[in-house]
Amino acid sequence: MAALVTSWLVAGASAARAQVTAEPSAVVFPDPAKFAHGLYTEGEVGAVAFFGKAGDAVSPGFAIGARVGYDLFRWFALQLHFVGSTHQLTGDNPLNGQLLQTYQGLIEGKLTYRFGQTSIFGEGGVGVERLSTNALYALGIEPRYRVGFVAGGGAGLDYHSLSRHFSVGVRGGFFVMAELTSSQELMATTYLRYTF
Amino acid sequence: MQGRQARHQVRPEVGLPITYALSLLAPLALGCQGMNTPIYFASPEPILAVTGANDAMGNPPRIENGMTLQFRNPTDAEQKALDMQTAALGFDAPWIQRDHVHIELTYQVTYTPLPNQGPDDNPNDIPQFTIGVDGANQYTKYDSNIVAMTLSQGNNDAPQYIPLIPVTPQTIAQGQTISGTVREDDFNEAELDLDAIGRWMAPFNAVLINNSQVNPIGLSMVPANVVIPALIEIDVSFTANRNMKCTYDIRVRDDNDQLLHDTTNTLFSPTPTLFVPPAMM
Repeated sequence: MAALVTSWLVAGASAARAQVTAEPSAVVFPDPAKFAHGLYTEGEVGAVAFFGKAGDAVSPGFAIGARVGYDLFRWFALQLHFVGSTHQLTGDNPLNGQLLQTYQGLIEGKLTYRFGQTSIFGEGGVGVERLSTNALYALGIEPRYRVGFVAGGGAGLDYHSLSRHFSVGVRGGFFVMAELTSSQELMATTYLRYTF
Repeated sequence: MQGRQARHQVRPEVGLPITYALSLLAPLALGCQGMNTPIYFASPEPILAVTGANDAMGNPPRIENGMTLQFRNPTDAEQKALDMQTAALGFDAPWIQRDHVHIELTYQVTYTPLPNQGPDDNPNDIPQFTIGVDGANQYTKYDSNIVAMTLSQGNNDAPQYIPLIPVTPQTIAQGQTISGTVREDDFNEAELDLDAIGRWMAPFNAVLINNSQVNPIGLSMVPANVVIPALIEIDVSFTANRNMKCTYDIRVRDDNDQLLHDTTNTLFSPTPTLFVPPAMM
């Protein structure tokens, strides 16, 4: 019986292989160094909401925007940002239901920290904003104003696809408008980026 | 190195993504072209407010205010074009034209019951309000008070107000707020009526009571190629049989940038003639 068991174990044993004596070198996949960098464009959609005085009279609205930028380094970029949003006036006033659009153009700096396919970034900039109407002035909410300076920044999360050109992400930002002394805006968008 | 080589390989495809990226800017560019850039004017102070107590004649309280829209004078080139248009038409072409200045009024009425007021349970005395709009173009001013005085001469009847734009009387509950809009097409009709009354001898009651698109009675003297002047003054009257207040805003779409907002321009200040119904003349 013992001989039978022994012969079964010997017959069933797998083939011997060479012993590993050192750890294999780490393989990074995908290799972030192979992601394209340099000139890039982004298209974004999302929402813009006003806070402060204007927040009581302006509802959150749909936003659409675009960025054109250039990665000076893997971790730093300069970009131009254009975004427009449309809002409906709310509140206890005769202009309830009227439409208001905002248009912004900013120049921004962007810092990025990448780990694998994912990166986090922070950005900020200054620029110009224009409101389509003087509705906030007519409501007595803000001083007479149509065009003014805007400044702000935000942060986001980027996920790079296996394509070397495309990535997607989400971002949020907070902006103050120089001429809207009591109002600010919060912007949250999702975007698609193409790096050439 | 591999990455750099690959980047060179994709350059012929660069044009398409750039096109896509730039196409994202198209809505922004369109939005900045003045497609929807109205200018709002808040109702003047004090706001229209009544307690609902009848006047000495037993009529519901009526209160009015208004505003004059400030336009600039035409430039030399614009005046020349206007003169050419006048010569071509054979009659005066207005500087402020209905086709280029679009007016809308939004209002909000709130009924706040007085402290010791009970419920509105009398079916013969329902809380309600009425809004009327008068005004003036650069030639003629229409005031429904003058018309009411004419119509009431020789009798003791309650004044009968016929505004340029009547807003249908609305009932309202305690604590309720009602919003409404006098649309651009309402103003278009009023501007036609006022021009017909002022320049083309139309019977005022016929054109004001009838919608020209349904029944153009009284407009037979108006030339087919008439250029209709826009309102430059808007007067709002408010009548209510309870303690109510009315606020409103005027919305103006100014196609040709004729509103006065540049300090180098001068104010266009016509002197429209007050329309007086024939019975008072």
